[in-house]
Amino acid sequence: MKATGLNQDLLRAAVEEFPADEFSAARSSAVAKLAGVGFPTVGDEDWKYTNLGLAAEISNGWLKTIIANHGAIAEQSNSEQVAMICQEIDAHWIIIQNGIIASDSLAELDGQAGSGISLSKLEFADKDDADDDAMSLFNVALLRDGLRITARANATTDKPIGILLADSPSSAVTQTRIVIDVGDNAHLRVVEYNLSVDPGRQFTNSVVQANLASGATVDHVRIQNRADDHVGVNKVTVNLDRDASYNHNSFDLGGALTRNDVITKIAGKGAAVNLNGLYLATGTQHIDNHTSILHLVGPSTSEEEYRGILAGSSQCVFNGKVIVSPGADGTDSRQSNHNLLLSDRAEIDTKPELEIYADDVKCAHGATVGQLDETALFYLRTRGLGMDEARKMITRAFAAGTLSTLAVTECQDHLAKVLDQRLDNLIGDGQ
Amino acid sequence: MSTDPNDLESLVNRRYEHGFVTDIESETLPPGLNEDVIRAISARKKEPEFMLDWRLKAYRHWLTLQEPEWAHVHYPQIDYQDISYFSAPKSDDDRPKSLDEVDPKLLETYEKLGIPLHERARLAGVAVDAVFDSVSVATTFKDKLHDAGVIFCPFSEAVIKHPDLVKKYLGSVVPHRDNFFAALNSAVFTDGSFVYIPKGVRCPMELSTYFRINAANTGQFERTLIVAEEGSHVSYLEGCTAPMRDENQLHAAVVELVAMKDAEIKYSTVQNWYPGDENGKGGIYNFVTKRGDCRGDNSRISWTQVETGSAITWKYPSCILRGENSVGEFYSVAVTNNMQQADTGTKMIHIGKNSSSTIVSKGISAGRAQQSYRGLVKVMPQADGARNHTQCDSLLIGKNCGAHTFPYMEVKNPSAKVEHEATTSRISENQLFYCRQRGISEEDAVNMIVNGFCKEVFKELPMEFAVEAQALLNVSLEGAVG
Amino acid sequence: MLEVKNLKASIVGKEILSGLNLSVAAGEVHAIMGPNGSGKSTLAQVIAGQTDYEVTDGSVEFLGKDLLELETEERAREGIFLGFQYPVEIPGVNNAYLLKAAVNAKRKHHGLSEIDAFEFLKLAREKMAMLGMDQSFLNRGVNEGFSGGEKKRNEILQMAMLEPLLAILDETDSGLDIDALKAVANGVNSLRDPERAIVLVTHYQRLLDYIEPDYVHVLSGGRIVRSGDKSLALELEERGYEWVREAANA
Repeated sequence: MKATGLNQDLLRAAVEEFPADEFSAARSSAVAKLAGVGFPTVGDEDWKYTNLGLAAEISNGWLKTIIANHGAIAEQSNSEQVAMICQEIDAHWIIIQNGIIASDSLAELDGQAGSGISLSKLEFADKDDADDDAMSLFNVALLRDGLRITARANATTDKPIGILLADSPSSAVTQTRIVIDVGDNAHLRVVEYNLSVDPGRQFTNSVVQANLASGATVDHVRIQNRADDHVGVNKVTVNLDRDASYNHNSFDLGGALTRNDVITKIAGKGAAVNLNGLYLATGTQHIDNHTSILHLVGPSTSEEEYRGILAGSSQCVFNGKVIVSPGADGTDSRQSNHNLLLSDRAEIDTKPELEIYADDVKCAHGATVGQLDETALFYLRTRGLGMDEARKMITRAFAAGTLSTLAVTECQDHLAKVLDQRLDNLIGDGQ
Repeated sequence: MSTDPNDLESLVNRRYEHGFVTDIESETLPPGLNEDVIRAISARKKEPEFMLDWRLKAYRHWLTLQEPEWAHVHYPQIDYQDISYFSAPKSDDDRPKSLDEVDPKLLETYEKLGIPLHERARLAGVAVDAVFDSVSVATTFKDKLHDAGVIFCPFSEAVIKHPDLVKKYLGSVVPHRDNFFAALNSAVFTDGSFVYIPKGVRCPMELSTYFRINAANTGQFERTLIVAEEGSHVSYLEGCTAPMRDENQLHAAVVELVAMKDAEIKYSTVQNWYPGDENGKGGIYNFVTKRGDCRGDNSRISWTQVETGSAITWKYPSCILRGENSVGEFYSVAVTNNMQQADTGTKMIHIGKNSSSTIVSKGISAGRAQQSYRGLVKVMPQADGARNHTQCDSLLIGKNCGAHTFPYMEVKNPSAKVEHEATTSRISENQLFYCRQRGISEEDAVNMIVNGFCKEVFKELPMEFAVEAQALLNVSLEGAVG
Repeated sequence: MLEVKNLKASIVGKEILSGLNLSVAAGEVHAIMGPNGSGKSTLAQVIAGQTDYEVTDGSVEFLGKDLLELETEERAREGIFLGFQYPVEIPGVNNAYLLKAAVNAKRKHHGLSEIDAFEFLKLAREKMAMLGMDQSFLNRGVNEGFSGGEKKRNEILQMAMLEPLLAILDETDSGLDIDALKAVANGVNSLRDPERAIVLVTHYQRLLDYIEPDYVHVLSGGRIVRSGDKSLALELEERGYEWVREAANA
């Protein structure tokens, strides 16, 4: 099967149909830059295990529709799911529907989310357009709207800020862009929820950029619970200044194909990055987590743990890269990836990488692929549990382990519930 | 002729001088690679037809390939048309007559390594037929090996005396289309070792080969093939060394191992090709393909390597674990100092049920050297109960070196257990102070700590190699701390 | 044997020792006590030659030689032994190997022939028997995976093997339970010798119940503020370090 590529002519023509707005210049510039690049292919080392053929196919189809409709994007309705999530997770919620911020939610929240916290529409600035990789360019090329969250020095929030990406196949291709600026010693807590409000084929491509000033803290929980036919590419870029800390928890539960890139740059002494992730896959799901932690200076620390449970014919990828730059002495980095394979058709490809150019460092990484602990199973059975029950219990415990590092506890109950539902499916499919 | 025809850069300068030499009877073929050159090599070695066909097939495939660029190494573009691919042994007149004529710095190194005097002379190229230590070993113990039914001879001899065995196994583990360097080697290799251990035979002695790149230059594209029939056992040692030269030299070898049911092959390498000087001038480009095929059930292939030499190393001794319960092992110590670059590791491909593999890699980087571990553990869907454990540690000495780890794990079987652990650290000031407080000099303390770091691998080496390896490590790291 | 005069030393610009005087003769056992941060460990480290500390003034003489001019290993070979508060783990390097290298480095320094593996083992076994230590210690990695007590006993074994003229034992009692403490103390006592001086650096008096010192010094603010005999330690135990501090400030 020949992989489909992005049709650049369609892209150019579609973007020309877009009504003029503040993003016009950025869009054309991105289209031009993308021309020589196109979507990544499995020939690119970073995309070795993930094929974006389907994303390109959906994009080409949608671009044709856009050209036919002269740039108009379909409206979208609210859903019950959105209401439920907003109720279950106590947060200041902002709804972004197919990349467009629901204006009422923004107006309602600005100034209410905490002192020193402001929420606004993104004004596209050059510094926010630093990334030149294909998917970031694609994001800008089709950009219609964006969100900026600014936390002034010392600002905090009483409740987390919730960002709900409520996407629907009514617009088959969606770009979302969020920029977060956090001032000195401010503390921002964010829940980002990736949801499909309707079933059907859709390709979403999101970019989140966070800049953390001295002593700033960002807790970022990302929950991805997309529909079965969904293709999602998500990129999070974080820059950390002195003593800043970034805590990330990601939960990937749904979608046909999901690719996440979390790219963190430690540019100030004493900064800390904590990345935690859980991915649950079954059926023919494909979930690819790429993380990169760049220690430009030391002393600085990073800690990372990703866990995965794979059932059915799913394929998951973990690629964790830690780079210690020359002179980043005093770097302390730990990374691990643990996987449980429940089915003989599932596949895990894991690659924990280290690139180290400084000598005063402590770096350790590890990866395992294995099964449930036999001794634990035996122990539970001697206590009278059936084999299935014992398996479920240990599998759940393995997944629940990732909740112990949860930076935004307001999500705890909701997560426990959805993880439970999802694990029931997996364990059922795995046997 | 006193310049080495294999020196890449000297070839450029020699081009006009010898560019018109076409007579295949001449000592050295002019630089350049084409089908005529390959025919000439094959004719010169009096090879049977099948060998020439095989070489030509490899050459034609090589033409379609690109030189790999994914490794974490940097070097100037190699012009393959500027290399001479065949050179007959030179007349004895050109060799040093005695140790007095050999570069004293090289002799000093041999002394530090504890290599016996007669051996030093041979390594330095004084002796006449020193290219292949194995040839003399084979001669010495010929009767004993013959009685056991073991074949141990130069590859070119095997092609003529045992064509059926060669035909059956050559390229069966590393096909000529495997990769750029393997294809090149298949087209132009000039010699190497051939080992055949018949069914049920335990090779009565350790077989060893000393490869050397120098004026005699047959070691440039050598090819080794070891076949261990059912229930047999062999331990093979390979030592490599090269004299110091200002120019870079290319070494692209292929090693193929075949282990049948219940057979065991232990392959140990101590590689000390010339690494170039402190500024990165000269040194060997060591681009090697080594692979073992555990074809039979319960077979075992074990790679142990101590790599201290070469300007650039590109090498991944691998195991294809086809047989049920087959075992693959990779124990490696790699040292890079000054401007050396190494991208090395292993591949373990699990196909057989309950196959298991162990990887222990110890990398030491000093000076301005860059070193990468690159490994692949692949568990195929049918490999029920496959097991892998990987331990991959890096030790950094000094501020300007780099150590990198690129482990790939691809698992397609739910009953597999794959574990990878890696650490990177440096020799701590506390450890050095502790040793010095006990009266041990800083240099000795570093050697002691480094040897301790490598212990797990050294214990896998045959005794005499282990001693040499330790000495080699100390020599390689000279001046790394200070 | 050891003459420390007006020693001032600092680390990253912060002065820890501020004019310390100490005189130790062969055969004597001195205890140096003091509250946390008083400079006890610094004194031990400076005498051993730890380069993190900068000596800004004063002198240290050992058997008439200027110790500060010597490298760490030279000091060790001259006969100075430091028992570390936190013995370092050196993975993969076995104890026997380190000890043999250390013993021979010292012998070579004194113009003696190196001892061979056989002699070394014999010597090591004798010393271990004397200290009541298990032979398996020799084959284990240096302090690798040792318990706190094992590490401290290993320090005493090294001291026994190296037969120093001056042994400085830095908080050798810290982290030990009573049985381990007794074992270590017995080891030290068995190494008491008219030719050898021992300096015990300790926070608590309890070690001195087992190793009886000839002199007790109290360190505070980087100087010795009070010296006396064994009874000083008991007095300290009773009245606490605050008493010394007040006395020093008075």
